Amino acid sequence: MHMIYKVSVERCIACGKCELACAFAHGSEGRPAKTRINIHRRGPELGTPIVCFQCDDAACVAVCPTEALARNVETGAIEMVRSRCISCRMCVAACPFGNMLWDETYHCVQKCDLCGGDPRCVPFCPTGAIAWVPVEEAAIPPEPLDRESLTFETGTGV
Amino acid sequence: MPTLKVNGRRVIVDSDATLLDAARAAGVEVPTLCQFDGLEPWGGCRLCVVDMSQANWDDDWFKVVTACNHPVDEGMTVITDSDRIIETRRVVLDLLLARCPDTPLIQQWALEYGIEQTSYTPNPDPDDCILCGLCTRVCDHIGVSAISSINRGWGREIAPPFNQPPPDCIGCLACAEICPTDCIPFETSTVRRKIWGKEFEMLRDPKTGEAVITKEQAEHFAERSGVPMTYFETSDRSKRREMAKTFEKLQVVK
Amino acid sequence: MRIESCDQFEALRKQSLEIEANRKQQVLVCCGTGCLASGSKEVAEAFADEIAKRSIDATVDLFVKSTGCHGFCERGPLVVLNPQGILYTKVKPGRVEEIVEKTLVGGEVIPGLLYKDPVSGERVEQYGEVPFYRHQVRVAMRNIGRIDPTDILDAIAQGAYSGVAKALFEMSPHEVIGEVATSGQRGRGGAGFNTARKWQSCKDAPGERCYVLCNGDEGDPGAFKDRSIMEGDPHSVLEGMIIGAYAVQANEGWIYVRDEYPLAVVNLTIAIREARKYGLLGENIMGSGFDFDIKISRGGGAFVCGESSALMRSLEGKTGEPRAKYVHSTDKGLFDLPTVLNNVETWAGIGAIIERGGAWFASMGTERSKGTKAFSLVGKVKNTGLIELPMGTTLRHIIYDIGGGILKDRPFKAVQTGGPSGGCVPEELLDLPVDYEELTEAGSMMGSGGMIVMDDRTCMVDVSRFFLAFLEEESCGKCTPCREGLKQMLHVYGRIIAGKGQAGDLELIEKLAAGMQLGSLCELGKSAPNPVLSTLRYFRSEYEAHISDHACPAGVCRELTAFEIVEDGCDGCHLCYKACPVDAITGVVKELHVIDHEACISCGACLDVCPTDTIRTFPKHELEKAEVV
Repeated sequence: MHMIYKVSVERCIACGKCELACAFAHGSEGRPAKTRINIHRRGPELGTPIVCFQCDDAACVAVCPTEALARNVETGAIEMVRSRCISCRMCVAACPFGNMLWDETYHCVQKCDLCGGDPRCVPFCPTGAIAWVPVEEAAIPPEPLDRESLTFETGTGV
Repeated sequence: MPTLKVNGRRVIVDSDATLLDAARAAGVEVPTLCQFDGLEPWGGCRLCVVDMSQANWDDDWFKVVTACNHPVDEGMTVITDSDRIIETRRVVLDLLLARCPDTPLIQQWALEYGIEQTSYTPNPDPDDCILCGLCTRVCDHIGVSAISSINRGWGREIAPPFNQPPPDCIGCLACAEICPTDCIPFETSTVRRKIWGKEFEMLRDPKTGEAVITKEQAEHFAERSGVPMTYFETSDRSKRREMAKTFEKLQVVK
Repeated sequence: MRIESCDQFEALRKQSLEIEANRKQQVLVCCGTGCLASGSKEVAEAFADEIAKRSIDATVDLFVKSTGCHGFCERGPLVVLNPQGILYTKVKPGRVEEIVEKTLVGGEVIPGLLYKDPVSGERVEQYGEVPFYRHQVRVAMRNIGRIDPTDILDAIAQGAYSGVAKALFEMSPHEVIGEVATSGQRGRGGAGFNTARKWQSCKDAPGERCYVLCNGDEGDPGAFKDRSIMEGDPHSVLEGMIIGAYAVQANEGWIYVRDEYPLAVVNLTIAIREARKYGLLGENIMGSGFDFDIKISRGGGAFVCGESSALMRSLEGKTGEPRAKYVHSTDKGLFDLPTVLNNVETWAGIGAIIERGGAWFASMGTERSKGTKAFSLVGKVKNTGLIELPMGTTLRHIIYDIGGGILKDRPFKAVQTGGPSGGCVPEELLDLPVDYEELTEAGSMMGSGGMIVMDDRTCMVDVSRFFLAFLEEESCGKCTPCREGLKQMLHVYGRIIAGKGQAGDLELIEKLAAGMQLGSLCELGKSAPNPVLSTLRYFRSEYEAHISDHACPAGVCRELTAFEIVEDGCDGCHLCYKACPVDAITGVVKELHVIDHEACISCGACLDVCPTDTIRTFPKHELEKAEVV
């Protein structure tokens, strides 16, 4: 069953749990700069998740001189092959959407790789604004979010 | 898909694999200095030597070869830790320690092979360059070839043409980043960058002033990859903001 | 005139032979680089002057031919008179008039110009009787000394390109390889790889085209066989390459020649131009339908570019650095296409092999080393020069019967074979037959055929140091063991030679040597320890004397050696006084001379000139003890 990462912008409440989850998943100290998903906050409880689109014809792959970015056919993600990266940062500049990130502290490039097929951010999203669904469900429009009845105790994460 | 044995363990690898690939597949560590996954193997440092016997050779007939660039063959036997291999690696590290006595990477490797001090005459004026060639090779691979090795023999050095700021350099810092001993100095900020004596202007986001690459880098890669120059000009943060704005416009329900 | 058929070639050959046969008198003046340096050009000009003076017909009555190297470099300038077959040695321009008057006109031989046997004292008149030539079997060098290398018709008359005609018109490429296989010829550049096998590998390898190359980089110090072939008979090389190209179906070839051989470059250029003119190179060779052309590429002064993969990189315009040869050049060589690279001497022999048959070539030599080999015999031997002999000849025969024995009849110590990749062979192994495997088992190497003869005034530690210093300068620097190892090896040798050798130095040298042999990328580094290991094997006591006794037994190493004139033997001839470059010797003619130890720089010039051999060497440190007393 082929899965796909689905973002439903309308359901995002800009809580930032996905960012923290991603940061923790990629470094034990949970430093916020390590997140590969970024919420663009545009108002109270209003956010737009921006995350790598795993483009079919990716600019990052085209520009990388050492083939350090490659498609994982099982997950569909474009993954970084760390041992081939030369930190030239061309991919950071080339990505049209700003989804390639440069971490100065660790002096390395980072991107969303869908955690190998089990994206760690998804279970933490209280509203299902980000979801890991079978590809057939991708086109189903999201349920509108009942923002009136939001409380701050919900959340199914582990 | 040939099958071979590395230190007694059987592995199956791709037909275009090297002995180093086979060793890694077998979980055997072979030390390297001049090898890098993204580049063609060079075979210069000689640290990755292993003992190899082809299937149709006598059982006790082995040849010392470098693992990084020797192709695999069906039925090959590879031994990575025979006495003469360990001894050869020791000589290589001992010699490198004489050339670079103050370089931590070499000191560490030499220590792993039991060498605290070099048996030979130390370099009276050492630097950290171990002449692994990674910098020039990555520069060639990128398609720039701004630097190369000059001089023959012990006087070999890495330098730009005529020791002048290299006209072809695009300031990508790949050479400095790939250098295993960090011996290529550079300065970089959001405004300018300097390496090999050449100064570069960074490609800055007009709104935020952030920059990650030089103008020359953008030109070089736009040409080679077909990715339009416009992609390179804004910072990733600004790009995400733009994306968010685009999504807001597409929203079905507010 | 382009030759368009085999018949036309044959006609041209016969015509050129007739011209040669019609000449009543020929004077062959050796104009190889060695004799040129001794003034043979002026000798040839003097003959031309005589012809003009006497108004002789220079094409028939007296034909002066400037040939390539005759090989007997010690005795140059060399002049051979045909049809008489007389060899005159050390000919000065001033003697030419006498030669023409007395010998050519008067029919009298001039004894003073004849070769004098160093043992019997007899004068030898005939070229073919001179021991230096009598023992030779010249195959690769068959026409050198007989032809004017700049005259293709002369070469054709003597058989050049007959092998090409036979191969192109009577044999298939497969049969050509078969004939070379029958001959058993192995590469003459040093590695000794079977020629036919190499050609077959190239032929079998996939690729849209392939190339043939000639390695004319001859970098070994003391080797000059390839130089003589390229200068003296460039056509033999072109012929071999055409035949080889036909065998592997290559249409392009290069001769990579070191730029330090200007005469070779010139003569090869002329030969190629002439060959093209006569349709022997280029499109449709001899009307056979086979296209092949050759270009010359000049080296830039790097010994390492004689290594096959480095040579190909250099030809491509890149830095001359070797690469690992796990993928053979016959699969991916020049421009990543299948390539055959062979040495000059290898190519030079091919024409003869095709013409006379592989079986003829294989009838000479030993079981594993067939045919003949060129050797540059140099050093402390009386008859230095270039010779070609059947494989299997013993070293003793070469050094004593052909070489005439050791200079000044000093004791023989060793012969270095194979250049900087080779080793020293001591007296007890002098009956070793010259053969690839025999020499390798003795710790040396055939190499390109250099033979440096050494006497008791040679320090084996110094000899190793000489070769190491050469290789250290020539190392490309790509791989750690060679680049660093040669430098460090020299540091240790420097210590030992200065009398500062330490305990453990020999073990350090041996450990480093093993690391270099196993770890180096190419043969330069892998074989660099050969002189070291072979001198340690046969002359270890000399090393030990340097380290433990601070003495150089051969009396060569300056920091360890002092000189003294023995009172008994000195006859006051004053020669040492004149020879000393620092005026350290005092003495009056007919009286005992004395060396001032303070001023003496231990160069040994006095010992070299002393006719009574009265100067002795002793360890320098004994001077200090004497002073204390």
